[in-house]
Amino acid sequence: MLEELMQINWSLIAPIIVIQLILMIVAIIDLVRIEETNGPKWLWAIIIVFVNVLGPILYFILGRRQ
Amino acid sequence: MQWSVIFKKELLENWRNFKWIWVPIVFILFGIMDPITTYYMPKIIDAVGGLPEGAQINIPQPPPEQALLMSINEYSSLGVLMIVLITMGIISGEKKSGVAELILSRPVSFTNYITAKWASSILLILVSFITGMMFSWYYVNLLFGDLSLSQVFGAIFIYGFWLILVVSITMLISTLFKIPGLVGFISVLIVIFIHMLTSIFRHILTYSPANLSSYVSAYLYTGEMTADMWSTIFVTLIGIVLLLTSSIFILRNREI
Repeated sequence: MLEELMQINWSLIAPIIVIQLILMIVAIIDLVRIEETNGPKWLWAIIIVFVNVLGPILYFILGRRQ
Repeated sequence: MQWSVIFKKELLENWRNFKWIWVPIVFILFGIMDPITTYYMPKIIDAVGGLPEGAQINIPQPPPEQALLMSINEYSSLGVLMIVLITMGIISGEKKSGVAELILSRPVSFTNYITAKWASSILLILVSFITGMMFSWYYVNLLFGDLSLSQVFGAIFIYGFWLILVVSITMLISTLFKIPGLVGFISVLIVIFIHMLTSIFRHILTYSPANLSSYVSAYLYTGEMTADMWSTIFVTLIGIVLLLTSSIFILRNREI
């Protein structure tokens, strides 16, 4: 297991993980602060946390109400 | 004076709804998606399986120029769609919610209103595009071989004009219709239409803005800016100015 972890090329993967984390955190902060969303809030929370990369982006495009 | 107030208001709004964070990230993802999947394609095919025992797959790795072009192609499809989605509500959304009425009932000139909004979205899109290309360049250097930074900036410079044109088109449509969804749909149709016209009448429309993406590839391989490229950029600039002036004209002559 540890050996397999060492084999991964981290200079390739690290930026993607960081991007995913930033997106998720920002989307969650926004979800907490916003008053109303398109559709139920708890559903968006699940989408943001469990749908990789695409979830937070979908939330920003579709979920926010102007 | 007045212009900078509207401009700052737009920047602040884009900051408050986190556009300054997620739009660059989305552009980074578009930029790095293709180089990474291309690099790992043999491994992906291996893992998915379905090939007979002992089958040899030889997928040649593309040269760095072509790998960078993959990112540009990604921007010309998904990126343009993203730009339209982001900008479609820029004026129609404000008309719908009544904010535009509130702003334009004060002594604000239509020219200031349109150009400040345009400039703020251009700034957002270009910053995102440049960061995305920088990430793409990082991955191309890592996976496919050296590519000089000046070449990447040349590509950004040429292709940036096409993205600005897309923003301007969406902006004009946004002054015409109230429903953001409709604005997005029509804008995408227009962009596709420009591409189609250019590919059908390729021999006549050498200076069509849709050719900018093929000029990017020519530039990346030769490293030279030809007269055709400059003329196309000039035509694109004229198009942008025309689109902006007609947006101002339409907004002025229409009650909100």
